[in-house]
Amino acid sequence: MRRRSIALAMLVAGAAASLAGCGGPITPDELSRSIGTLESTAAEGALLAKDVARDRTKATFARVHARDLSDVVDHEAEKLNDAQADRSDVAAAKSDAIDLADRIGTALGQIQTAPGDEGGGRTAEQALNRLSEDAGKLADGL
Amino acid sequence: MKTILQIALGVIAAIGGFVDIGDLVFNAQAGSSVGTPALWAVPVGVVGIMIFAEMSGRIVAVSKKPNFVLVKERYGRNLSTFTLVASLVLTVLTLSAELGGLGFVLNYFFDVSVSFFVLAALFAVAAAIYFLPFGGLERVFGYLGLALLVYIAASLKLDPDWGEIGRGFVPESHSAAVYWYFVVGLIAAALMPYEIYFYSSGAVEEGWDESDMKVNRANAFVGFGLGGLISVGILVASAQVFKPAGISPTSIGSVALIAQQPYAELGLVLALIGILFAVGGATIDTAFSAAYNLAQHQGWKWGKRFKLLDEPRFTLSLAGFLLAGFAIAETGVDPIELTEYAVIFSIPVIPLTYLPILLVGNDRNVMGEYVNGPLARVMGWAYFGLICVLALAAPVLFVATNGGG
Repeated sequence: MRRRSIALAMLVAGAAASLAGCGGPITPDELSRSIGTLESTAAEGALLAKDVARDRTKATFARVHARDLSDVVDHEAEKLNDAQADRSDVAAAKSDAIDLADRIGTALGQIQTAPGDEGGGRTAEQALNRLSEDAGKLADGL
Repeated sequence: MKTILQIALGVIAAIGGFVDIGDLVFNAQAGSSVGTPALWAVPVGVVGIMIFAEMSGRIVAVSKKPNFVLVKERYGRNLSTFTLVASLVLTVLTLSAELGGLGFVLNYFFDVSVSFFVLAALFAVAAAIYFLPFGGLERVFGYLGLALLVYIAASLKLDPDWGEIGRGFVPESHSAAVYWYFVVGLIAAALMPYEIYFYSSGAVEEGWDESDMKVNRANAFVGFGLGGLISVGILVASAQVFKPAGISPTSIGSVALIAQQPYAELGLVLALIGILFAVGGATIDTAFSAAYNLAQHQGWKWGKRFKLLDEPRFTLSLAGFLLAGFAIAETGVDPIELTEYAVIFSIPVIPLTYLPILLVGNDRNVMGEYVNGPLARVMGWAYFGLICVLALAAPVLFVATNGGG
């Protein structure tokens, strides 16, 4: 009985320690992974936008996939917004990343709104390529 | 033509197992992250499943016993119940991921809502199970899933570096944990337990006997070979499209986007049709596997070869597993993440699934003249050893690489 109580107490302590570890400030490595997701999503959005610009895709697919990519970016922005940064350089990069996420979301929104607009596709492609590069530079600087 | 129709069981088991919703994305991630150096893992897994599928089909032809009956006979009550529970958890989680995946794919065509299409997919799958004969299910989902061969064509059209592809089939030592994560995942994907449960029970459904040894071999080698070929196609095409652009695919839409690059809208539509039927096939595989395992463990009458209304316990469990999968899918959980957790759950089940096949295949008292020859015996034990290593390595690599990320 006593042995079982000790095992239970150790389990609870372990779980508490794990939970405590989850709530700390964001590390440069975690921020870099998050920015990596933004870079990848923007690059994938650019690929989709290129096909919209050249009329090489189905409008419903382009709309739904742009929405999915936009959801990924929104989720990443929310996570970044909620994370605490205890170093000024990390805080600045975090703020830049949230701004990037916002702009990537806007460019993806253009595809979502008008998936058959070839001119809009070209504009979104250029914007998303640029944003992907910006995200890469931001991650490299960490 | 007759032979082509006879290999449907192998095709649907392979398509449903190798290129289900999780594997489609996993193969694309392997291509974009590690690239062609991980290619050798695919044939390693394919040869393993070919060996065990051929063995389990041969066992059914001789003894009429599907895999879970072997599990029950060889393990005794406690271990067979543990194997049953673990396999049911894995299979129902995978089933819900497949239903969720069907919702996503249908939404790419019609843009209503994923949730609505998950419900539509449930009705469509239930209707197919009720109205189509077993052979019809195999053929519709297996052969239409072959539209995924568009990825082979895509990888060729994208003008790959053949030297690099050739080198990819030669295993190399590597220090990066991410590389080993994808290698282990690609091998394990070929050996998912529900494939073998479905294959051996399907052989019973088709009434295989000793005159079907050739059909069994053709199913095991051609069917699973095709599944492996599609895996290679996705990995190579992803390495060509996504890796240079720094894209890490996260959804089934990303996988469809690969085929759009060389073939525009036609490639996209073929990819989506292939994904729809491959994932539909995986839904059928998993739903039946769960019901087969439960019925075989409990000693109930089972199978599509009988009228479903004549075997209420099997039919109710089939319906119950489909509804459980639907309920999980409707919570909105990401199907890709769900399959990752399903793989973690599958780890203890993989060796437990394959060991009885090997023991019975090696048993001359049961198999008579069809007992494993020296090659099948050596390869079988070698692969069983590999499966045990994978079972230990997979969770460590999953944690060490943050799920390959």
